[in-house]
Amino acid sequence: MIPSDPEALDALAAEHVLGTLDAREAAEVARALPVDAALRDAVARWEARLAPLADLAPPMAPPDGLWKRIDASVAKRSPAPVVPLRAVPGRAAPPRPGKFWKAWSAGATAVAAGLAAILFLRPADPPRMMTVLLTSRDQPAWLVEAEGGGLRLASLNPRPVEPGRVQQLWALPPGATAPTSLGLIPEDGQARVAPGLVRPEPGMLIEITLEPPGGSPTGRPTGPILFIGRLVPATGT
Amino acid sequence: MTLDAAGMIRGVADGEAGALRRLYDAQASRLFGVAMAILRDRDAAADALHDAVVKIAARAGQYDPARGEGGAWLAAIVRNTALDLARARGRETPTDDPSLGDTAVAPEALDRLCESQEAGRLRDCLAALEDRNREGILLAFVHGLSHAQIAARLDLPLGTVKAWIRRGLARLKGCLT
Repeated sequence: MIPSDPEALDALAAEHVLGTLDAREAAEVARALPVDAALRDAVARWEARLAPLADLAPPMAPPDGLWKRIDASVAKRSPAPVVPLRAVPGRAAPPRPGKFWKAWSAGATAVAAGLAAILFLRPADPPRMMTVLLTSRDQPAWLVEAEGGGLRLASLNPRPVEPGRVQQLWALPPGATAPTSLGLIPEDGQARVAPGLVRPEPGMLIEITLEPPGGSPTGRPTGPILFIGRLVPATGT
Repeated sequence: MTLDAAGMIRGVADGEAGALRRLYDAQASRLFGVAMAILRDRDAAADALHDAVVKIAARAGQYDPARGEGGAWLAAIVRNTALDLARARGRETPTDDPSLGDTAVAPEALDRLCESQEAGRLRDCLAALEDRNREGILLAFVHGLSHAQIAARLDLPLGTVKAWIRRGLARLKGCLT
């Protein structure tokens, strides 16, 4: 959890820059950076303070073949395999969740379980799987439902994207080692992932990362994770 | 050395032909040194530099000269990539590695920091820290050691090392502002 106390936040930023955070803590900071301006500023200040220390490492010639390898990787990187998502026009946004959501500070499982219950009560053909993508502070950001072999997304708490960056949606099926790009998504509203791009299954990780314009140039996430959640069966236990 | 790093990053962002190669030629030794100090394994350091330069190519447009020096921006990407790799490897690097420590931790190593005004201030503030506070900070930043590795190397309890590093960072901040 990213602390809100300025002193604790600054201490976390310092250890992030120093490199002493463990993998879990470092990932948490990386996820929070794009959405937490105070943390971002604290990290930038510590980077500036400690930057000269990098030159204490004695320079060393890299292996001869390394440039060729880099050049090949950079040349190979094709435009991101982005399939534009169809925003759903003309449909009213879902009722603003308001207090219900704001009061809900539990983790992903509780939120997902609650929504599963709500969806289960809907009379018409409930989606079989869903999740809520949460921020690093466990705030719900997007509702994701498996629908017709694809996915449907609805923004719950729209928040502005950093200027000059885009949000890219990824899926990581259980057991897979690299996520699949599902395309770029709008800041808010609704979006749909066509069937075929992804086969929703329980346990599949869905995440949204911050990427350069046009999407990740490498075909893999290059920016921090903004929102993340795991598909669960919506019909419950 | 880092004088024109910002210009080279701009060239990469603008898609100038050969810009990435020029940046690589000018910075590779320095950046490979940064990765080697953390990973202490040529293959791993080469992997880290490869991944970092691919990231640099992709993110060059995001570099903002107002937020810091170009050379520092490049080094930060390499450091973070190398640290992530070290974490993925469980930071197994043995701490009795003879290649570790002498260069960065010896007080005279700090003399290499005097090239710029900022570096001079940082050097003075580091020199004012207790030896073991300073040593912990340098082992972490330059060599990517975890709290536990620093504790083993300095033969101190883990909690003590964590507290000293925290205190050292707080003092450093106070001294630098």
